[in-house]
Amino acid sequence: MRRTTLLVALTTTTALALTGCGRDDGGAGDAGAPQTGEAVSTDDLSGELEVWAMGAEGEALPDLVAGFEEQYPEVSINVTPVPWDSAHDKFVNSITAGTTPDVAMIGTTWMGEFAGMDALDPTPGSIDTSKFFEGAQGTIEVEGTSYGVPWYVETRMVYYRTDIASEAGYDEVPTDQEGFKEMAAAMQEQEGVDWGISLQPGQTGSWQTVVPFAWSRGAQIATEDAYTLDTPETVAAVDYFGSFFDEEISDANPPEGQTEATFTDGSVPMFVSGPWMMSLVEDFAAEGGEEDFGSMYDVAPIPTADGGESSSFIGGSNLGVFADTENRDAAWALVDWLTQPETQVEWYDMTSALPSVQAAWDDEALTEDEKLAKFGEQLTTAQAPPSFPTWEQVAAAFDAEMEKVAKQDLSGEEAVQTAQQQAESIGTGQ
Amino acid sequence: MAAVTGTRRRGAPPTREAGKARSSRPPGASREERAGWLLTLPFLLLFGVFTAWPVIQSVFFSVTDITNRDLRTPFQVNFVAFEQYAKAFGDPVFRKAALNTAYFVLVGVPLTMTIALAAAIALNTGITRFRAVYRLGFYTPVITSIVAVAVVWRFLLNPDSGLVNTVLAWVGIDGPNWLGSTTWAMPSLIAMATWRNFGTAMIIFLAGLQAVPQQLHEAAAIDGANAWQRFRNVTVPVLRPTILFVSVTTAIGYLQFFEEPFVMTQGGPLNSTISASMYTYQQFSFGNYGYAAALSYLIFLVIAIVTALQFRFLSEKED
Repeated sequence: MRRTTLLVALTTTTALALTGCGRDDGGAGDAGAPQTGEAVSTDDLSGELEVWAMGAEGEALPDLVAGFEEQYPEVSINVTPVPWDSAHDKFVNSITAGTTPDVAMIGTTWMGEFAGMDALDPTPGSIDTSKFFEGAQGTIEVEGTSYGVPWYVETRMVYYRTDIASEAGYDEVPTDQEGFKEMAAAMQEQEGVDWGISLQPGQTGSWQTVVPFAWSRGAQIATEDAYTLDTPETVAAVDYFGSFFDEEISDANPPEGQTEATFTDGSVPMFVSGPWMMSLVEDFAAEGGEEDFGSMYDVAPIPTADGGESSSFIGGSNLGVFADTENRDAAWALVDWLTQPETQVEWYDMTSALPSVQAAWDDEALTEDEKLAKFGEQLTTAQAPPSFPTWEQVAAAFDAEMEKVAKQDLSGEEAVQTAQQQAESIGTGQ
Repeated sequence: MAAVTGTRRRGAPPTREAGKARSSRPPGASREERAGWLLTLPFLLLFGVFTAWPVIQSVFFSVTDITNRDLRTPFQVNFVAFEQYAKAFGDPVFRKAALNTAYFVLVGVPLTMTIALAAAIALNTGITRFRAVYRLGFYTPVITSIVAVAVVWRFLLNPDSGLVNTVLAWVGIDGPNWLGSTTWAMPSLIAMATWRNFGTAMIIFLAGLQAVPQQLHEAAAIDGANAWQRFRNVTVPVLRPTILFVSVTTAIGYLQFFEEPFVMTQGGPLNSTISASMYTYQQFSFGNYGYAAALSYLIFLVIAIVTALQFRFLSEKED
């Protein structure tokens, strides 16, 4: 017992030294947490806001927020660009040290973790959360409470070469999973085609390929308080995924970074990815002298089975306000402003980040591109992964099993059983 | 420096007694002593804050169930004794990582040392006219960034267009997918690590070889010893401390095998190249601080044992 006391004393000293001050509500705040946070007032906003954003967003954001500063001249915004590689560590460190920014861009899969650390301010009721895509809204809810808002979104669709598909006798992509696989096999028969479709054979992020197949069969991979990776629907989806490698329609050891090259030269005429691949493959083809590549391919929704609804993975980034902010009103006003449809369209023009607000998709900038409009359609049914703090860890365990399915013929049943056992021993972290 | 030698000359323990005994000592020595402490203070402070304290803290973490969820609520941390250590033994991925690390050390250390010694001898005996060029060439991989090295090796090992498989194809061998195969990924990383690291060992061996007295070689030659006998009975005994030093430092480095799998394979395929350090790193990044701290102390323990064994078996013949 004495040792325990000493231990607590030791860790506490450090923690206190790090955070500067203790928080009185401790870890017990979850139970009484409000559905939405206190209302904010937008009158007389003033002061400084520290904003963190990653990648291209961090670079472009200062130009965008100039509009906000015009509207509220008393508020000045300081944007700090953070590199993606070190972003997660930087956030965790700043949360423990009590040096968080006021507003930050937050990766969708970090929400559970940060909310679990009591770092985020619940979304005030004045922000209408129904304006966002349902899947995107799902990424900001932790145990029934919203923390922040979806900022921009992306989802995955099937890219396919229309010219090779029609050679193989397909004018459209079948919407059922069995028919879809037959199409991939038929395309593989065509001249110059090595593999029917490129699917990620396990390793980091492969769940983003497999889980949509399960969702599109009606599977749920988690309930409110537990992981449910071992449902019959998920087993069937994993077996379906494995059969592509089994029947050698997909390469279990694909060379790295060749997606654009093999898609444009037709040797792998299908893959599953997000909207950013449109400009990548078109630019790649243009470099090779193929200026009109845009008309040679199209995108199609994730195929379904057993009467399920086509449901892809929704990614993107959220915006959060940190609980330690000293300028809560201005922080939320900025977040609200960033999720106005007009601002979102402007942001799309600047960075090609897709709006999380459904109303913004009515704008011409987004409706005139047919492929993009299809992404907009897929977004309405796209789903988010569980928002448990331990999701990233469980996803890694799931990815490891998917690799065995793709490369070692592990059965779907065994794979999801192992993944579920690991998920249970890791726990939801709540 | 002066303060330290002054203290030693008196033969008194320099630390705890200092304050107590100050009055009975000549005032000059005391001032000298105080200056000594003052001069070492910046180091002691930095050492304490950035080395000693983290070590103490991580030892405590390793006997708790702390995760990143506890960072803001430290009162919830539970003392779990050696549960985290026990967990490691039942963790299939860590067991795999430990085996991979052992494989890497058992093959990599002798290989690196043999190549380093061979290169050092070749350079020392002057079989080439361009010694400096070779010395530089062999040492260049050591100072090159691992990321740059990784890019180049990835090109070399590319199954379709890589130089390695192209050369193998000339002699009719169908080369494997080096980094994508569970059998070949580890040998590929060992080859890369050996290539990258032997330069350090070579430089140290070279210094050791240059310290071998030429007269001994000449005397042995007059007695009729051939080149191998001279190497075996003259060079190796003189070189023994160098060999010990190189084997200890190389083994410690290789037991912490991290960068190669981290940049080349991410531990894959199928965990065939994941190392103990890399798995520890993963656990830290998942926020399992208690478990990760326990894993790092297990690695520390193994390093201590291996080093002790090396001292026992490589240095005993010296006296």
